[in-house]
Amino acid sequence: MSKNSNLSVLLNGIIKENPVLVLILGTCPTLATTGTVDGALGMGLAALAVLVCSNVFISLLRNVIPETMRIPCYIVIIAGFVTVVKMIVQAYLPDLYATLGVYLDLITVNCIILGRAEMFAGKNPVIRSALDGVGMGLGFTLSLVVMATIREVFGSGSFAGYEIPFMQEYTIAFLTKAPGGLLVYGLLIALIYVVTKGAFPKKKSFSCEGCPNASNCYTPNCAEKGVEN
Amino acid sequence: MKKNLKNIAVLVCICAVITVLLAATNAITAPLIEKNQNAAANEALLVVMPGAEGFETVDITAYSLPQTVTEAHKETSGRGYVVKLVTTGYGSDFVIMCGVSSDGVVTGAVCLSSNETLGKEKTYGENFKDKNADDVDAVDTLAGATKTTEAYKNAVKDALNTAVILGGGSVDIRTEEEILADNLNAALPAGEGKFQKHFFAEIVDGVDAVYTADNGAGYVCVIGDAFIGVNADGTAITADAVGADKAAAAVATIKATTLTDIDLTAYPTLANTVVSAKKTATGNFVVETKGAGYGIKGGNEYVPASGEYIIVKVSMTADGKIIDCLTVSQGETANLGDACKDEAFYGQFDGKTEADYTEIDAIAGATMTTDGYKQAIERAFAAVKVLNGGVK
Amino acid sequence: MEMFKTLIIILLSSVLVDNYVLSRFLGICPFLGVSKKLDQATGMGVAVTVVMLIATAATWPIQYYVLDALGLGYLQNIVFILIIATLVQMIELLLRRFSPALHKGLGVYLPLITTNCAVLGVTINNILDGYTFIESMVSSLGCGLGFLLAMVLFSGLRSRIDESNIPAPFRGLAVTLIAASFISLAFMGFGGIVENIFA
Repeated sequence: MSKNSNLSVLLNGIIKENPVLVLILGTCPTLATTGTVDGALGMGLAALAVLVCSNVFISLLRNVIPETMRIPCYIVIIAGFVTVVKMIVQAYLPDLYATLGVYLDLITVNCIILGRAEMFAGKNPVIRSALDGVGMGLGFTLSLVVMATIREVFGSGSFAGYEIPFMQEYTIAFLTKAPGGLLVYGLLIALIYVVTKGAFPKKKSFSCEGCPNASNCYTPNCAEKGVEN
Repeated sequence: MKKNLKNIAVLVCICAVITVLLAATNAITAPLIEKNQNAAANEALLVVMPGAEGFETVDITAYSLPQTVTEAHKETSGRGYVVKLVTTGYGSDFVIMCGVSSDGVVTGAVCLSSNETLGKEKTYGENFKDKNADDVDAVDTLAGATKTTEAYKNAVKDALNTAVILGGGSVDIRTEEEILADNLNAALPAGEGKFQKHFFAEIVDGVDAVYTADNGAGYVCVIGDAFIGVNADGTAITADAVGADKAAAAVATIKATTLTDIDLTAYPTLANTVVSAKKTATGNFVVETKGAGYGIKGGNEYVPASGEYIIVKVSMTADGKIIDCLTVSQGETANLGDACKDEAFYGQFDGKTEADYTEIDAIAGATMTTDGYKQAIERAFAAVKVLNGGVK
Repeated sequence: MEMFKTLIIILLSSVLVDNYVLSRFLGICPFLGVSKKLDQATGMGVAVTVVMLIATAATWPIQYYVLDALGLGYLQNIVFILIIATLVQMIELLLRRFSPALHKGLGVYLPLITTNCAVLGVTINNILDGYTFIESMVSSLGCGLGFLLAMVLFSGLRSRIDESNIPAPFRGLAVTLIAASFISLAFMGFGGIVENIFA
């Protein structure tokens, strides 16, 4: 499998550069929507749809969009597709819309999407950008569902709304609440470290790396990167 | 400069394309979204009117409806109405949603929120299903929750009345107090709507009650269902001859009644139980006595007793028959013991003697208050015996 | 008086109960990224609060007097994010030009805020909750202060963590998240308190 094959682009997002568990991007929706498997799956697929659409659109326009104006253009395109997806969800899946609420709108500022636009779609042909979008979207969805499964099964003793007989008796209710999200995410990252013997996650601490705005940003943190490390 | 213009043009073009895309999506999804939102809003309404096709909100300010009604919705296919009411039960803000079919039958009732004590009111509404206005009073009460039950039944009646009014009919939505006030006003317009119930010191046969106008314009006598106005000089202003005679006689008796104060210092045995005593020219007595109810005997370390006696005013013939009875003041527990100030309770003593005065309905849940009240009545009997020439 | 009460409740609940970072998970990136040192945490927190207030002051009238008036509600997302991005750029330029000292303290955090979901979140939430203009401003202030509070508290915690000897798998990311989880757990204790303050 050559490094440049289309298949590797697809798989890259799911495993090697999994946005949530390896690149540590998109933390907000990861924490906020993984209280239930349904919510996580909905969020993941909505983000996948936006990601594929925006990647394709941006890739198509990559020679038209001027270098200096690329960030505002990307934001407009992404916000547009987010609104389209939001309206479709609101019209055809009202229950899911009620669960996700404002987080659907906030896909606009999900770093994964702007990040892929900046790092991949703006430089690659349409087909590859689409595959990258699918791969990243699936990777995002997969990690969300894994986290949601842990939180829902142990937190409310059910899976995707279906009750699990034995688990019902021994629920750890706080897992479905806010602190549970942070805790499970932390434990998962530690687990990945153990399983991969320290090779993953790639990012060792929270900083501006991977932030799509890093290039036009000069916070002390970003400066530190060059000076201290 | 040229480059800037090109940049701006690109951004504007992208914005335009995206806006067109959004407008197209919006055109497709907007009707569906609106339908979904309506469905969500109507879900609560559907619970009380199963099978309804849709609802439209009625402008309730355009109708004269019971005051408890806060919202009304008309079923679009004409099945009936769903009414939302806010009433007061044991606690405040008892919100009830009630569906009424076009032929005046309750299709469902639910309690949306309440501060009631029991929690049973959540499912109580089911009992009203398929009942009409005549059946509502017969619905089983909630054990131990008289006020909640009453509030619920009144709310359901209000909902039934609302449906009639919205359907174009008319119905009496006045409360009992309002009906009484309207009747009094009709019988004696010169009274300007302000009346006090007269406290009898003389026996007047054939008249159920007399109301005195605050401004001295005259009296209204209640005889059965009839309200008869009497001028201040004692002439009845109603054509009903039999009633008018009785009313005039009653007013003559009232006007002839004179009360003389009795000096209680002459009766040391009554010092602790009697507040005041008066005597009529015909030999009847009017005494105010104290009874120890919850205000004296009750209370605990968390809710201390008020320290107030129940003061009762009793008029009585010399041979010990109660003519009239009235609660002057009390310090019993709110919502429970203070029912002793309602006429429904103290009116029971009218016409009683020492032999049968205990045969009255106690106040539910307020044994100490009832006992204290009976003690005050008992002391009135004892006082009249003393005042009428017994042992000092 | 009634209005004052409502405003106090909105303020307290957005600072403590519905804390944007710890209970709604908005603005997690800067919360975890820029909370290593107290001065940075404070600077970021203040910058976010200021931007939230200005963004709300700009977006609320636009939503009600432009978008709703023209029936263009579906452009909300695009318009809001563009307004926020433009505002942030303008503030940054103005600060750099007129107050270099302030720019050094706050301005450096501004570009990070453009894509901060807490800012977009608060503007959209104010519309969703149907707040009046004044209520919206108070709610934004509360959300900003809540963010600042969480940042400051967490920076204290992190300086302790940095000094501790932590097992390898937990070093860096994992322990930061778990520590945040405990702060969030502590904030859960505020639930139900605010509504009952005036009861």
